[in-house]
Amino acid sequence: MPAKDYDVLIIGSGASGGMSAYTLTKKGLNCLMLDAGPLVDFSRARVNKAPYELPYRGFGKPGRFPHIFQATEYTANLWVDDKEVPYTHDPKTPYNWVRVRMIGGKSLFWARMSFRLSDYEFKAKDHDGFGENWPINHAELAPYYSRVEPIFRVAGRKEGLPQLPDGEFEEDSSPWSEAMSRFIATAKQRDIAVTKMRRSLGRGQFASSFNLLLPDAMETGNLTIVPNAVVRDITVDKNTGLVNGANFLDRHSKREMHAKARVVVVGASCLESTRILLNSKIANSSGALGHYLHDQTYITQGVVAIDKGIPGEGGVRRGFGGGAAYIPRFVNLKSGNEQDFIRGFAYDFGLGGTPDAKYVPGYGADMEKTMNEYRGKAASVTIMGEVLARYENCVSIDKNVVDAYGIPVLRIDCKYGDNEQKMAKYAMNTFEELCRATGMETLAKHDRPFPPGYSIHELGTCRMGDDPKKSVLNKWNQSHDIKNLFVVDGSSFVNGGYQNPTMTILSLSMRASEYLAEQLRTANL
Amino acid sequence: MKRRSFVKALAAAPAVPALLAQQPSATDELPNLTMSPADGSTDALPRFFTPSQFAALRKVSVTIMPPADGGPGALEAKTPEFLDFLIAESPSERQQLYRAGLDALNTQANKRFGKAFADLETTQADELLAPLREPWTYDPPADPLACFLVEAKADVRTATMNSREYIAFRGGAGGRRGFGGVYWLPLD
Repeated sequence: MPAKDYDVLIIGSGASGGMSAYTLTKKGLNCLMLDAGPLVDFSRARVNKAPYELPYRGFGKPGRFPHIFQATEYTANLWVDDKEVPYTHDPKTPYNWVRVRMIGGKSLFWARMSFRLSDYEFKAKDHDGFGENWPINHAELAPYYSRVEPIFRVAGRKEGLPQLPDGEFEEDSSPWSEAMSRFIATAKQRDIAVTKMRRSLGRGQFASSFNLLLPDAMETGNLTIVPNAVVRDITVDKNTGLVNGANFLDRHSKREMHAKARVVVVGASCLESTRILLNSKIANSSGALGHYLHDQTYITQGVVAIDKGIPGEGGVRRGFGGGAAYIPRFVNLKSGNEQDFIRGFAYDFGLGGTPDAKYVPGYGADMEKTMNEYRGKAASVTIMGEVLARYENCVSIDKNVVDAYGIPVLRIDCKYGDNEQKMAKYAMNTFEELCRATGMETLAKHDRPFPPGYSIHELGTCRMGDDPKKSVLNKWNQSHDIKNLFVVDGSSFVNGGYQNPTMTILSLSMRASEYLAEQLRTANL
Repeated sequence: MKRRSFVKALAAAPAVPALLAQQPSATDELPNLTMSPADGSTDALPRFFTPSQFAALRKVSVTIMPPADGGPGALEAKTPEFLDFLIAESPSERQQLYRAGLDALNTQANKRFGKAFADLETTQADELLAPLREPWTYDPPADPLACFLVEAKADVRTATMNSREYIAFRGGAGGRRGFGGVYWLPLD
């Protein structure tokens, strides 16, 4: 019996692929989904262990994950191992490519920070002259954000800030602590707005494609998911020039298979999607495929400060200290060039923590005493800065290296530039000044971002645009070259701002998939 | 093999290999046996550091993390023995950092006090550990000894606080809960 005919082949089951399946199956389209990883049975995949029960007492096997700073001995088995699926880069410019291959993809593990992009991002070129505008603006994407947010149950507070559009939130009406109120007052004197964090609650603090999107899609009876299907390339009908499916290998047996469909939607994660297109040698008449790779600079513990004005030792009175908050971009808003850098950054910060021992000078009993005095009095910040989407930051196929499945791997050429470094320095100094003005004392500070990729917010390399000579996709995430090919993940971004990208990825995928369904209905594909 | 005899051979093969002839059914009540990590009931065999390096490592460890509140410190947590293993498994730069750092402690102790680092009085050891009282910097200190001490401070603390002895004491004292975490088994 020949394989069934599917309307749409979806490659990838994470946020973007999951949303595409969610949308298309509800429109009655018959979808086949491939994912490179297995379906995880959470009850069998994990056990509780004390660190001394692990072979390396919690340190992890030395050198196992040189590129995944997030990996711990507890999580070592869930990341894609560089040895199985390698990638190459200049040793002087490392790239931290962090990957997960499971049904649900990285949406199983994200931090659930849920923001919209604003027209400061969509129309960034109009504001400061750099790069390109997106072919869409916030108003065009807003209806989709407004439908995605309730699915993911985004908690937040409406603030009315043009640089961070409000959404359909589950109202966060929690009060600020006294310490945080003092910090907010300091920030307000400097025209810096402090907001509540915006975070997806999902179901039971679990908000993934796996539990919020795929079950609904399965429910329609229109979705077939094949796990452990490692896609090699997308196939093209020589007569029509249209895509007609994909070649893949079974992860366990390496058996080669072909999946067939009328339309192909790629949502394999930013760099895997681009790798598949490059290996397929399609959709690149612009020459832009693989270029304009960007993410966000991440500086964790950029400033660690102690509020010595807080009374008490070994803990802080309830309601006085503590609390987490967010400061969205506050620079280069009136004009695009107020600073010696363009674009902006955000702070994700907390009060009421205890500093890591490495920041507390000394050792032994004296240091423990100081640690106890500092307990609950530390402020620390993660600085997240926009990275300019530059042509020279790019990926290509390294013809000399193949992965465990015989598929040629990516070479990644990416480094941060002056703009990112100047922004980081300014961000560090400004936060330190805020802490000082609130009465805190700096314990440690630095302005050195992790290597590119660390944020796991890789974006671009398959960007959208109105001009087919400068972009791979049109404003519907549809290939300019091949009309039945769509790429719905973060690779389609023109720029990523300072905001965590998942809400935008989900909204773009929903919008593209509805367009796709309409085109199929009206026989335009 | 002719087709008929092949079919016959196939039929003769047992449906379940002999070794799996017995399997408890899912509904059986099975015993829950408690195991001990090797660290808890046996001794490690140090293999990486020389005896003089190891003696210095013991002294560094107990100085950084002495017993506190009647609970275990680095020595009771067998941190030096664990670090001997961890560093043996580590990339060569880290091995070199440790070896050179421990040698430097012994050399300086000999030069200034005429004895090995392990035999110093506390105040004498404190003098050599002065770099640890400097403020934190993003870049590791240029001086190899200072660089080693910064690394050792973090490693000794982690190894001690993650030990069975430390967790049994702190957990037992009732103050802190939630030691340990969710471990991901290898994916199928």
